[in-house]
Amino acid sequence: MASVAEVKSAIDAAVTQITEGQAAVQAASEKLSEAQQSLAAALDGSGHESVGAAQASLFQASTELEECLAATLAAVEQAQSYAATL
Amino acid sequence: MSLMDELGARVRTSADELPLELVTVAVQRLHAAAELLLWVRQASADPMGVPQLAHATEHAEHAGHALRVAQEQLTDYLTAIGLGATARPAPDRAGPTTPQVTEDGSVPSPAGDAPRLSGWWSARVAELTGGDVAPTTSGADGATGSDHLLRLVVAGVRAGDRSRLRHDLGAAHAPVGLGLSALTPPALHRLAGDLLGHQPRAEDVPRLARATAGRVRDLLPGMPQPVLDTLLARVCRDTAGHGGDARAAQPSHPADLPVAGAVLTGVLLQLLGRDPEALDRSGEEPCAARAAPGRPDRATHA
Repeated sequence: MASVAEVKSAIDAAVTQITEGQAAVQAASEKLSEAQQSLAAALDGSGHESVGAAQASLFQASTELEECLAATLAAVEQAQSYAATL
Repeated sequence: MSLMDELGARVRTSADELPLELVTVAVQRLHAAAELLLWVRQASADPMGVPQLAHATEHAEHAGHALRVAQEQLTDYLTAIGLGATARPAPDRAGPTTPQVTEDGSVPSPAGDAPRLSGWWSARVAELTGGDVAPTTSGADGATGSDHLLRLVVAGVRAGDRSRLRHDLGAAHAPVGLGLSALTPPALHRLAGDLLGHQPRAEDVPRLARATAGRVRDLLPGMPQPVLDTLLARVCRDTAGHGGDARAAQPSHPADLPVAGAVLTGVLLQLLGRDPEALDRSGEEPCAARAAPGRPDRATHA
């Protein structure tokens, strides 16, 4: 069986991976926000169906990234709570 | 450049620079974390964040899908206004439209300095064995189970072939590799007892280290010494710390102890002149009972 030290080490490594994932999500959110602003300025006044659909997709992506980040925070909290009980 | 061309280039640039690569990086990190937590969960009913991690991964994958859909819709728009073929961004601003995948199937970090993605197990195996990451994707042609992997490692140790070890270990799925932790402790205790001629005791740590450390170090030049000290101390059930400062050492990488344990198993089998099939004879009587009076202590001659 794995030892407590190995289990803690695995949880630490998992939390590190999640933290790096969070950093990527945050960077993605910032880049997405910039793209939304740039497109909003360039396409202001367009009534084209594809433009509206693209902007809706970008909004959905932004929301998904926010929810992703929130879920990772909860995952880290649970993993660390478990590690603390070992 | 006309106003329309300028508009088209701007829209194309925004579409190409959507953060698909970053989202792919996030998904890969979350998958790697899930692999680790799922391994831990094999021995616990505690959810320890795995369901939340699954939701997070799902949201990240949906975000990636939404970004790809947005890119397609923007392309459709440019085509509709007659700029589909001409509206290219300036070359120095052109970004990749899809994540760039390296030859081992991993995705490079946007920051450039983060550890490799989706190959943390094979990357660590490469560090431990002192070589480059195997060109195959981790798990692509690897052992089907931890017991199979242990036999491959034992065969690699017998052949003294570090490249083969790196390939066999690195090609395994991470959970298969981590599973070595469950297989090797009883085998190590039994084999060490056979080598010493009695049940391993705390005071046997230095002798066992003298007998095995050189061979293990040859095969795993990148293995931190505290990991080996800890492993030998566990084999000898040494709770007092003959393994040096192992108890005070920093937490090791999750791959370290499983890999070290498998290689040490191979080294002990080699010293005992046994083949990998000896691992199957786990039901043998305890080594203390087998050790006849006057039986030579092979550890001192190894």
